[in-house]
Amino acid sequence: MTLQTNGATGGKWHARYPELGTGPVPIEPYISLEYFEKEREHIFRKVWLNVGRVEQIPEPGDYFVKDLAVCRTSVIIVRGHDGQVHAFHNMCSHRGNPVVWNAKGTCKMFTCRYHSWTYGLDGTLRHIPDEKNFYGIKKDAHGLTPVAVDTWEGFIFINVDPRPKETLREYLGAAGESFEGYPFAEMATGCSTWEVDVNANWKVCKDAFQEVYHIFSLHNKSTGAAFASTSNPYLNVHELALFGPHARISVPANLDWKPTPVEALARRYGMLALQKQGSSSQGMPSGVNPTASPDWSFSGLIYFPNMCLFVADGGIIMHTMWPLSENRTHWEARTYFPKAKTLAHRFSQEYSRATFVDGVLVEDGGTFEKTQSMLASGAKKQVILGDEELLIRHHHKVTEQFFNA
Amino acid sequence: MSKRQLPEGFQDLEPYLEWSLATDRERSIKRQTSPMTKITAFYQAVVPRMDEILAYLEQYPLEQVPADAQRLFYLTLSLAKIAPAVEMYGEPVPEGLDTLRLENIDIYPTRS
Amino acid sequence: MALGKNKWHDRYPELGTGPIPVEPYVSPEYFEQERDRIFRKTWLNIGRVEQIPQPGDYFVKDLTVCNTSILVVRGKDGEVRAFHNMCSHRGNQLVWDTKGRCQTFSCKFHGWTYALDGSLRHITDEHNFFGLKKETLGMTPLAVDTWEGFIFINVDPDPQQALSEYLGKGLRTSITGYPFEDLSTNCFSWHTDVQANWKVAKDAFQEVYHISTLHRRIIGDVYASKANPYANALDFTLYPPHGRVSLSANPGRKLTGVESIVQGFGSTVLQQNNSASEELPAGVNPTGYPHWSFDGLALFPNCLIYVSKGTYLTHIFWPITENLTRWEIRTYSPQAETLSGRFSQEYGKVSFRDTLLEDASTLERTQTMLRSGAKKEIVLQDEELLIRQHYKVTESFLNA
Ligand code: FES
Ligand code: FES
Ligand SMILES: [Fe+2]
Ligand SMILES: [Fe+2]
Repeated sequence: MTLQTNGATGGKWHARYPELGTGPVPIEPYISLEYFEKEREHIFRKVWLNVGRVEQIPEPGDYFVKDLAVCRTSVIIVRGHDGQVHAFHNMCSHRGNPVVWNAKGTCKMFTCRYHSWTYGLDGTLRHIPDEKNFYGIKKDAHGLTPVAVDTWEGFIFINVDPRPKETLREYLGAAGESFEGYPFAEMATGCSTWEVDVNANWKVCKDAFQEVYHIFSLHNKSTGAAFASTSNPYLNVHELALFGPHARISVPANLDWKPTPVEALARRYGMLALQKQGSSSQGMPSGVNPTASPDWSFSGLIYFPNMCLFVADGGIIMHTMWPLSENRTHWEARTYFPKAKTLAHRFSQEYSRATFVDGVLVEDGGTFEKTQSMLASGAKKQVILGDEELLIRHHHKVTEQFFNA
Repeated sequence: MSKRQLPEGFQDLEPYLEWSLATDRERSIKRQTSPMTKITAFYQAVVPRMDEILAYLEQYPLEQVPADAQRLFYLTLSLAKIAPAVEMYGEPVPEGLDTLRLENIDIYPTRS
Repeated sequence: MALGKNKWHDRYPELGTGPIPVEPYVSPEYFEQERDRIFRKTWLNIGRVEQIPQPGDYFVKDLTVCNTSILVVRGKDGEVRAFHNMCSHRGNQLVWDTKGRCQTFSCKFHGWTYALDGSLRHITDEHNFFGLKKETLGMTPLAVDTWEGFIFINVDPDPQQALSEYLGKGLRTSITGYPFEDLSTNCFSWHTDVQANWKVAKDAFQEVYHISTLHRRIIGDVYASKANPYANALDFTLYPPHGRVSLSANPGRKLTGVESIVQGFGSTVLQQNNSASEELPAGVNPTGYPHWSFDGLALFPNCLIYVSKGTYLTHIFWPITENLTRWEIRTYSPQAETLSGRFSQEYGKVSFRDTLLEDASTLERTQTMLRSGAKKEIVLQDEELLIRQHYKVTESFLNA
C-alpha cells in the first residue's frame, strides 16, 4: 500500500492556503542579528502587544511596569482616577530616569527618585522641586510621554508606535472576534505566572506552541496518550485557520484516556489545565471548538507576533514570548483559573499547575536552548515543516509581509 | 512529649510532615531533591487517605483554616506536586528545563 | 645556558625572541577569529575509540567554540562516524545524554528516527509532509578520523588537510609504537570550568619553568635537581603547528614514605624516576636520557598529550568565551590487576590532582591581571618555546 502523501494533495491545511507554499523554511530568522533588528523595527515597535490584564490594576492608582527590551522601552500601565487604563513611557521628563522602579504597586502620584519631579496618574507633570531655578519651563508640555493603549476582553494591549496604523480591534480582526464572549473575566479571577529567560530565539519558543505534532513524542510520558489516540496517533488537529497575521488552532482530546489516581481526584474538584475529556464548549463563542467536535480539548488564538492564548472549558493558558536578543527570550507562561472556593478545589488546581509545569514548562522549555544551539551551528540552513505545522510557516510569511510593507 | 501536628484522625501521617510545605518553591525543591523511594513512600501513604482528607478540608471556609488543617492541606499540595513523578515519569522530575530557573510571580495586587 | 646563546630559540630563529602581546588572551574579537579560523577549521581531539567499543556506542560532545554539539558513534560496520547533533526536521538536538548505546537515534521532539550511519529512517506522520526525500535529510556528517586511537573531528565541511597530513609525518613517526592502546584500558577523567582564556590554561602545561616555584612543595624536586635547578628540558622539537618537549627526572630524588610503598605496585601518574624507556619506541625520550621522565606533545590548537612509561595523560582546553574555559584532564593507565595496584593508582591520581590544583590557582589570577590593561606584553624565556610557537602559529592561521 502506498500512502497518499501531501506532496500530491497539498495537504489538508496547506491546500487551503496555497500562497504559503510547502517548501523548507530558512533558519536565518532564528539566528540572525540583522533579522532580529528588523523584527524589532517593523513588528514590535509597530503592532499592538498584550502586556497584561485589567485584573492586575483593578483600582485607580494601581499600576504595573512592563520592561519591553524589544521595543527599547519600559512602559507604565496605570488605572487613572477616571477609571481608565493609561500607558506611558516610564521616563522622567527631567533627565530621563525611569519614574517607577517597582514592578507593580498602588500610588496617588508618581515621584521620580532622582530629583522628585512628580506626575499625576494621567501623566501630567504636577510638581518640580526648586522650580524657580529652571528656565521658563511650561509644566503642561512636560508630562509623561503617552503610549497607545487599549483593552480587549480584559487584556491590555499597548502599541509603541506614536501613530498606530490600526486600532486594536482592527488589528485583532476576525480572529479576535471569534473568541469574544469566552468567560475571560471569570477565569482570570485567579492567575499563576512563571517567567524564565532562555537562551533561544523567541520564535523557537513560540513554534513549540504553534503545533501539537510533538505531543505524542516529547510529552509521551506525561500528556501524550491523553491527547493522541489509536485512531489519531500523531494528534492531527480539528482545525487550523488563518486570519490576517493571526491564526487559530483547535485540538482534540483522547476520550479513551484513563486518568491516573491523583488526576481523577483532582478532576473531581475542578477542571484541569490540560483537560482531556469531559470538556464542553456549550455556549462558547465560535472560535472555541469551531468544529463543534465532541472530542474537544482546547482552542488557541495564535496572536501575531508573540502571544499564544489557549482557552479550555474551565481555564486559560497563555504564553508570551518577549525577545531580548536574537538568541535570548523572556518567556512568560500564565494560567488563569477561577479563584478556588475550597481547599479541595485548591488542591485540584495545584495538581493542574504541577502537570502544567512538568508537561509544558519543563518538557517544552527543555527543547528551546538545545534547538537554538543546533540552529546556530550552521550544520543545516533550513528546517522542514509538515501540514500540521502550518502556523509556523504562516508566522514567517506574515513577518516577510511586515518587512516589505 | 510532642504536640499533635495534624488533625485528629490523621496523626498517622505525621511521619510525612516534612512534605507539609507552604510555598511552591519549597515543594519544587523538595521534589527535585528527594529520591524516588521517598517520593513513592509519601505518595503511597497519602493517596489512600485523600478522599477522607479532602472531605475533611472541605468543611473549612478558606479564611478560617486552623493550623493543623493547614498543615494537612499543605501535604495535599505536595501530593499534587509529586504525583506526576510517580504516575508519569518514574523519576523525580522530567528531563528538560530546570524548574528552579522558573520564577513564580504574583502579578495581581497584594493589598495588606 | 651560556649568555647570548639560546639553546632552543636558536634552532627556530623564525619564531623571534621578543615579547608577545597580551591581546590574544583578552580580546573577544581575537577569540572570534580563533573560533572561525582555527577551531572551525582544524582537527580537534575529542576522545578515544575505547569510549565507543561496540556498534551503537555513542558519545556527545558539546563544542561551544565551534557553535555546535557533536554526536560520535560507532556504526554497525564498525566505523566511527561523527555528525552535528541536529535533527533535520526543526533543528532540535537529537541526542540529549552524554553517552550511551542504541540501535537508532530518535528525536524527542517529534520522533524522527535516524540510523547509526546518520540516514533518516522514519518520519512520524510522514504523509503530512510535502514530497520529502528521506535520503537528503540525514544528519549532517562531519569529517572524522582516528590516530593512535584518538578520535579527531573537523567541523570544516571541506577540511583543507587530512588528519594524517595535519599531524605531519615527523610528529607521527616520533611516537609510533607507543602503547596507547594497552594503556587506555583505564581512564580517570575530570573537567572544570575556569575563568581564564584557554591559552592561559594551556600555557601552564606547555612549560615546566614554573615547577621549581609553584610546585616546590609537591613536586619541586621531582624534575629539578641541583644540577638542573630550573628543570630545563632535554629537548624541544617543533613539528609545526605542533611541538614536543622531553623532560628529565631528578635521579637523586628520595621518595617519600608513601611514594616508596606505591612504587612497589605500579606506576604513578607521571613516572618520576628510574623511568627507563628501553621498551618504548625510539622517538620517545629522543635524547635517550637515562633518567627520562616524560615527553609532552602539544597538538595545535588545544590538546596536550604527556607520555611516560606505563601511563599517559591528556589535557584538552575547550574555549567557551575569551575568558572562560572548560579544562578536561584524562589520565590513562592499564587496569590494575590487584588491590595494591589500585591503591598505587589512587595515590598517583590524588597527587596529580594536587599538582593540578596548584596550577589552577594561577589561571584565574593571571586572567584577571591580563585583563587589567596594566601591561600590553608578556615576556618569554628560552624554555617557554612552545608558548611562543603557539602564538606564531595562531598568527599564521589568522592571517591565512
Ligand atoms: S530625572 Fe527625574 S527628577 Fe530628575
Ligand atoms: S525536531 Fe526532531 S523530530 Fe522534530
Ligand atoms: Fe549623588
Ligand atoms: Fe508541548
